[in-house]
Amino acid sequence: MAQPFPYLLLPSFWASRNRARRRERGDFSRALLFGGVAIAVCAALYEGSFWLTGQLADYEELGDYLLRIGLSWLFLTFLSFLAFSGVVTALSTFFLSEDLRLLLVAPIATRRLFYARFTRTVVQASWMVVIFLAPVLAGVGRARCAGAAFYAAALLTVVPFVVIPVAAGAALTLLLVNTFPARRARDLLMLMGLLFAASLVVVLRVIRPEQLLRVESLPDVTGFFATLQSPATPLLPSFWAGETLFAALRGGRDLLHAAALWTTALASVVLVRMANERWYFPGFSRSQEAPKARFARFRAIDAAARALPLSPVRRQLLVKDVKIFLRDVSQWSQLLLLLALVLLYLYNFRVLDLQRIPYMSGFIKSVYALVNLGMAGFVMATVAVRFVFPAVSSEGAAFWIVRTSPVAMRDFLWSKFWAGLVPVLLLTELLTIVANRFLGVDPFLEIASAAAILFMSFALVGLAIGLGARYPRFGADPSQVAGSYGGVAFMVQAVLFVIVMIALVGWPSSLYVMQQVRGRALTTAQMMLTAGCFASALVSSAVVWLASMRSGVAALDAMSD
Amino acid sequence: MIAIHHLVKRYGPFTAVDGVTLDVQPGEIHGFLGPNGAGKTTTLRMIAGLLKPTSGRIEVNGHDMAADAERAKASLGFIPDRPFIYEKLTAGEFLRFHGGLYGLDGAGTGDRVREMLELFELGRWEHELVESFSHGMKQRVVMCAAFLHRPRAVVVDEPMVGLDPRGARLIKSVFRTMSARGVAILMSTHTLEVAEEMCDRISIILKGRIIARGSVAEIRAMGDSHDDQLTSVFLKLTGGSGLQEIDEIL
Repeated sequence: MAQPFPYLLLPSFWASRNRARRRERGDFSRALLFGGVAIAVCAALYEGSFWLTGQLADYEELGDYLLRIGLSWLFLTFLSFLAFSGVVTALSTFFLSEDLRLLLVAPIATRRLFYARFTRTVVQASWMVVIFLAPVLAGVGRARCAGAAFYAAALLTVVPFVVIPVAAGAALTLLLVNTFPARRARDLLMLMGLLFAASLVVVLRVIRPEQLLRVESLPDVTGFFATLQSPATPLLPSFWAGETLFAALRGGRDLLHAAALWTTALASVVLVRMANERWYFPGFSRSQEAPKARFARFRAIDAAARALPLSPVRRQLLVKDVKIFLRDVSQWSQLLLLLALVLLYLYNFRVLDLQRIPYMSGFIKSVYALVNLGMAGFVMATVAVRFVFPAVSSEGAAFWIVRTSPVAMRDFLWSKFWAGLVPVLLLTELLTIVANRFLGVDPFLEIASAAAILFMSFALVGLAIGLGARYPRFGADPSQVAGSYGGVAFMVQAVLFVIVMIALVGWPSSLYVMQQVRGRALTTAQMMLTAGCFASALVSSAVVWLASMRSGVAALDAMSD
Repeated sequence: MIAIHHLVKRYGPFTAVDGVTLDVQPGEIHGFLGPNGAGKTTTLRMIAGLLKPTSGRIEVNGHDMAADAERAKASLGFIPDRPFIYEKLTAGEFLRFHGGLYGLDGAGTGDRVREMLELFELGRWEHELVESFSHGMKQRVVMCAAFLHRPRAVVVDEPMVGLDPRGARLIKSVFRTMSARGVAILMSTHTLEVAEEMCDRISIILKGRIIARGSVAEIRAMGDSHDDQLTSVFLKLTGGSGLQEIDEIL
C-alpha cells in the first residue's frame, strides 16, 4: 500500500536534521552572529509593535481605527511577498529540484506528489513571514492585554493566510512553465522580483514619511491615512486576516472573515491540485528540454580587454569573469536593488533641508559627511561580501582548469582583485562624492572622504579576496558563500576596519572643521596629529590589503595538501 | 614524457597511492588500469598538479612538478573524468580563455580554436553556451582544450565515459594521431577493450601499488594459459570475479 504523502517529505526532514547535526568550523560564531541579529530584530519588532499599539490606545476610536488599518496593511504587505515567494519557490520545488527525476520515475500518484511538494512550497515560501509576524502579533496582543483566544485566533488566521497566496503563486508557476522554459522563467521572475522590491522601496520613499513629523503638514495627515486605507479592499485575504485578528483582539469573534479565509484556502488548494493533475507533467517535460539558449555575446568586452595593458593570462581571466557575471541573471540582478537603494540614499541627501537651522548647518554638514563616509564603508563591505568574497568560490567545479594550467595562483588572485576593485571603488567614490556635493560640505572634508574611500576600497577588496581564497566554498552559490564562516569573518573584520578608518579620518577632519568654524588655524601640534592620523589610515589600509592578498595566495598554493 | 618516482599520497592514516613509479615515453600510450578506489585518479591528479604528493617526484617533459610547476603544466594536457567547465561561456570563448592561460593570445588563436572544434566535430557549436551541451559534448570540449596548446604529454582520466560510439572512435583516432606525433599519453580506463586496442604498455594498480606492468601481450601472459582475454587477467590480478556471489545473490 502506498505511504501517505508526508512520507515524500522525509528526505527534506532528514537532510535538515543531518545539516543540524553536522559540525563545521565557525558554527558557533555564525550561530552567535546570525542568532543574535535574529533575536535583536524579533525583539525590536516585538517592542516596536507593543509601543505603537500602546500609543494608539491613547486615541481611543482613532487608535482602534489606525490599528485595524495597520493590521490590514501588515497582512497586505506579506500577501504580496508570499505570492511572489510562492511563484519562485514552486518553480524550484515542482520543476527544477534535482530529486524530481528520482520521484517521477517512481510509482507515485500525481496527487500525492502534489500534496508533498505543495506542503514543502508553503513552508519554504512562508517561514520568514511567520517568523517576522509572530513577534509583531505578540507585541500587539500584549499591549492590548489579549487573552489566549487572540493567540489561538492568530495561529488559525496565519495558516490559511499563507496558503492562499502560495497556492496562487504555484498556479501562476504552472502557467509560466507551460508557456516559457523553466530556467528562462526563473531568470525572468528573479528580475521581476528585484524590480518589484526596488520599486517598493522607491514608492515608500516617495510617500515621504518625514512629512508627518513636520508641524505645517499636519492638516494633510488625514489625507495621508485616507491614501493608506485605499488598497485595503474587502476582497483580499489580507483584509479578512486583519479583521479576524482585530475582532479577536477586542475579545470577539469574526467568524465570517475566518470562514472566508479557510474556505478560500481549501478551495485554492483543491483548484491548484486539479490544475496540477492536468498540466503538471507537460510543464515538467518542457522544463527538461534544453532549447537553444539566447544570450549576449558581449564582443565589446573582448575589444575593451584588448585595449587594456594586460598580460594574455590576466586579460583572459578578466574577460571570463566579466562575461560569466553578466550572463548569470541571478548575479547581476541583485545590483538593481542595490542601485535603487543608492539612488534613494543620494536622493535623501538631495532633499535634506539643513538651511532650516542655519547656525548649525556647517557643523551638521560635517557630521553628515562623516556619517556618509561610514555608510559608504558599510555599503562597500556589503557589496564586497556578496560580489567580491565569492570570487574564488565562483570558479566552482571548473577550478581544475586554472589549477592545471601554467598560471601562478598569485596571478590568478591578483586578477580577481583588480576585477573586484574597479566597480567597488567607482560605486563608493561616486556615492561619497555626489552625497558630499549635495550636502555642500567643506572641500577639505570632500577630499579627505574621497581619499579614505580609496584606501578602504583597496583594503576591503583585498580582505574579501584574501579571505575568499582562504575559506572557499566551491559547491555553493554566491549568496550561500557570502553567509559562510569566511563571509561572516570578513564582515566582522570589515566593520571593525571601517570603524577604525572613520576614527582615523574623522577625528582630524572634525578638528579642522571646528577650527574653521571658530575662525582659527590649526596649531603645529594639531597639524602633526592630523598628518599622523592620515598616515596611519594609509598604512593600516596597505597592511590589511597586502597581508590579506598574501595570505590568500598562500592558501591557494597550499590547497592541494 | 611523464616520469613519476616513488609517488606516495596519504590522507591521514589512509594511503591512497603507495610508492608508484612509472614512466610514459614520447609517442607511447600507457594504460593505467585498476578497480574503483585503487588510486588511479589520485595519481593522475597529482601528475596534473591538482594534488600535492606526500612524497615522491613527478617530472613532465623534464620539468619537476614541485619545483617548476608552471613549465611542467605548460607542456601538459589534462582531461579529467568529469567535464566541469564554465557553463556561461560559449565553447569558442572557453577555448580562447583556456588558450590564454597557456599563453596563446595572438592572431592565430581563433584559427587554432576553430581547428580543434572542427577536429572534435563541434564546429557548429562554437558560439553556443556550454550549459546547453550534453555530457559527451562537454567531454569533447575539454579534449579540445587539452590539445589546444600542443602539449607534449597528456594525462587522461576515463576518456570514454559518456561518449557515443562515434565519439569514442573519434577520440581513439585523435589519441593515435597525437601518439604518432610523439605525444606521451597516460590514460586511465575501466574499459579493458580500449586498453587492449590502444595501449602500448599497461600498468595495473591495486590498493595504491602497481601490481603488474608490461605490454598487452606481457600482461595477458600473466593470466591462465587457456584464456587470453585481458578481462580475466585483470580480474585474477585484482581479486577474483565475484561472479559466483552475484549468481547466488540474484
